[in-house]
Amino acid sequence: MEKNSGPLSPHLQIYKWQFSSLLSITHRLTGTINTVGFFVIVLWILFLALGPEYYNFYQTFLRSFIGKFILVGFTWSFVYHMFNGIRHLAWDFGYGYEIKTANLSGIIVLFLSILTTFFIWII
Amino acid sequence: MKNHALNKWIIQRVSAVVLMPLLLFFLYSLVDLVNKDYTGALDFFDNYLSIIIFTLFLIFAGLHLKLGLGEIIEDYIQDERLKGVLNKIIMLYSAVLPVVGIISLIIIIL
Repeated sequence: MEKNSGPLSPHLQIYKWQFSSLLSITHRLTGTINTVGFFVIVLWILFLALGPEYYNFYQTFLRSFIGKFILVGFTWSFVYHMFNGIRHLAWDFGYGYEIKTANLSGIIVLFLSILTTFFIWII
Repeated sequence: MKNHALNKWIIQRVSAVVLMPLLLFFLYSLVDLVNKDYTGALDFFDNYLSIIIFTLFLIFAGLHLKLGLGEIIEDYIQDERLKGVLNKIIMLYSAVLPVVGIISLIIIIL
């Protein structure tokens, strides 16, 4: 069987955990979670178009404790991905590569994502 | 081939920048919308700005997620056949969702 011998990314099971790699993996993880969140959003718009029975059914679920928990979780995931995305864009332009800077910007991203989620939902 | 990869790289970044204000508007209105009933939600879309922002969000998010998931597949899947199948699923997913969303928006405003 012919196999592609192209390089693969480090296998996560044997990779030594560091703060920087954890944030990097979280970027991809939240990106993937966001695609599911996107599905939830489209379903919401679809149910609104289908009429009040569908919409109210969905809305009741979203307003429940589990529904709210899921929405807040998706919100954090989206916001984290956005802030960490800005970090990635800075790297694309050649800024912030120093280990100290990268760690600091990582902490800022984590802090901002939690703060923004809090602001969006509480205030 | 080289230009193709470069195009993907650029589109991924441009769509990311475009999505930032759209996402913030979207999340901010979401919290408001969760507490509204059916007629309240319809009222929200009785406004061209909401419709335009939601439509742009659907298009750019679809584009961005297609490229992002494709990149993950490229990095972690070695088997060419499996890669091909997964890429087709991603293509379908990233196209169907925005189309369904936009058709729904059209039904809502009509």
